[in-house]
Amino acid sequence: MYLTRFRLNAARPGARKLIASSQALHAAVMSSFPDLLPSAAGRPRVLWRLDRNAAAELLLYVVSPGRPDLTHLVEQAGWPAAAASGTPGWQTYGYAPFLDRLDKGGIWNFRLTANPVHSVRVRDGQPTKRTAHVTTQHQIEWLLGRQEVGGFRIQEKPQERRRTERGDLHQLVVRDQRSLEFRKTGSTGPVTIKTVTYDGRLEVTDADALRKVLTEGLGKAKAYGCGLMTLAPIST
Amino acid sequence: MSVLTLQLAGPLQSWGASARFARRTTENAPTKSGVLGLLAAARGLTRDADAELAELATLRFGVRIDQPGTRVRDFQTAHDLDTDESMPLSERFYLADAVFVAAVAGADPMLATLYQALRRPAYLPYLGRRSCPPARPVELAVHPGGDLVGVLRAEPWRAADWYRRRRARETDVELTLLTEVPAPGSTPNATLRDQPLSFDPRHRRYALRSVHTSTVTVPNPQARARQTVPPHDPTSLLDLA
Repeated sequence: MYLTRFRLNAARPGARKLIASSQALHAAVMSSFPDLLPSAAGRPRVLWRLDRNAAAELLLYVVSPGRPDLTHLVEQAGWPAAAASGTPGWQTYGYAPFLDRLDKGGIWNFRLTANPVHSVRVRDGQPTKRTAHVTTQHQIEWLLGRQEVGGFRIQEKPQERRRTERGDLHQLVVRDQRSLEFRKTGSTGPVTIKTVTYDGRLEVTDADALRKVLTEGLGKAKAYGCGLMTLAPIST
Repeated sequence: MSVLTLQLAGPLQSWGASARFARRTTENAPTKSGVLGLLAAARGLTRDADAELAELATLRFGVRIDQPGTRVRDFQTAHDLDTDESMPLSERFYLADAVFVAAVAGADPMLATLYQALRRPAYLPYLGRRSCPPARPVELAVHPGGDLVGVLRAEPWRAADWYRRRRARETDVELTLLTEVPAPGSTPNATLRDQPLSFDPRHRRYALRSVHTSTVTVPNPQARARQTVPPHDPTSLLDLA
């Protein structure tokens, strides 16, 4: 497994096109694997996420079974001249040693951009429809509901740091709610996806299950930059 | 000595210190003559009561600009009711949406009477011009034994909620203080002809008064910290492949 980081050059038109369209960015990410043919059935899961830390700090993270080649991204949306002087313009890290070291009881900071949805039946007799959670409280509950299976537990806040009596139990912030809307060839209506970013602190309860989450993703809309969870040491 | 504080807030205010003839300008802050006129009106003094006015004029005056407001220009036309002759066209300036805290310092019994008078005014108070009614009660409090600058510095920020929210990025806001007595760190940078000698409608007379400008910092209760993205670097423990 590999974890790759690529910084987008926000001043370039190519980068703006990718930032604006999750579809375009997905296509760009998927085409960075030379061994992966578009027609390949049952192809391995590639996860990606775009972190918008500041107006000019846009970091694309990709977790993939194979090693990516992001030359085309550097050319369209990176710094090709800087990359020409020896460095490839992106960083690929080996992910497997880190994943193997994950242990039960370890405490990590995590970040996850996800598409929290549930299925509701609007009228009796009709099939259920996938519907986005729109309130922060529901979005938190969505993530909490995946702790058991995911092999992690979100840490609770000490009593004195809670700002409200209820609803502020966990070391978790939900931010950056975004609505994606685009048309897909072959579908009648627009595709609408709501994404939120979670930042928080978790404890590993089942290392194998968490490894599965980290490499295969959590929730829906994985093709559109959702579901990739990354861990960082709590000192940073 | 004690200090009486007033809040001057209204949709429109107009405080002329040098307004003459057809161009009726306004200062950026209430004038001493305007505020003393308001107090005299609350007491029920007549326009020609020069002796009582002389007593009022001994009060020391200071004002804090809590919300500067915006300047509005009005172009006024009027016709005589009987002859239908047009009056001279005049330009009138106002401050819209401004809030000030004014303070007067003087002898205790005089300020106590003035405070009572403001609660039951003989003539209704207005903010510099009769068309500018106050939007809030004018009187705030009497501070016994206080000094003018200290009381103005200690007063909480009186700006409107929407204005405080607009400056939510600032945890502390800096307000301008215009006082008659020197304040620490102030500059005596101006004189204003607004020390009233007589409000007699036949011949109003004013003397020059010095104005010391300084600033005061007050907390903003509506301040909110900017939301920042938490740091997150998943690569710090990984090795380049």
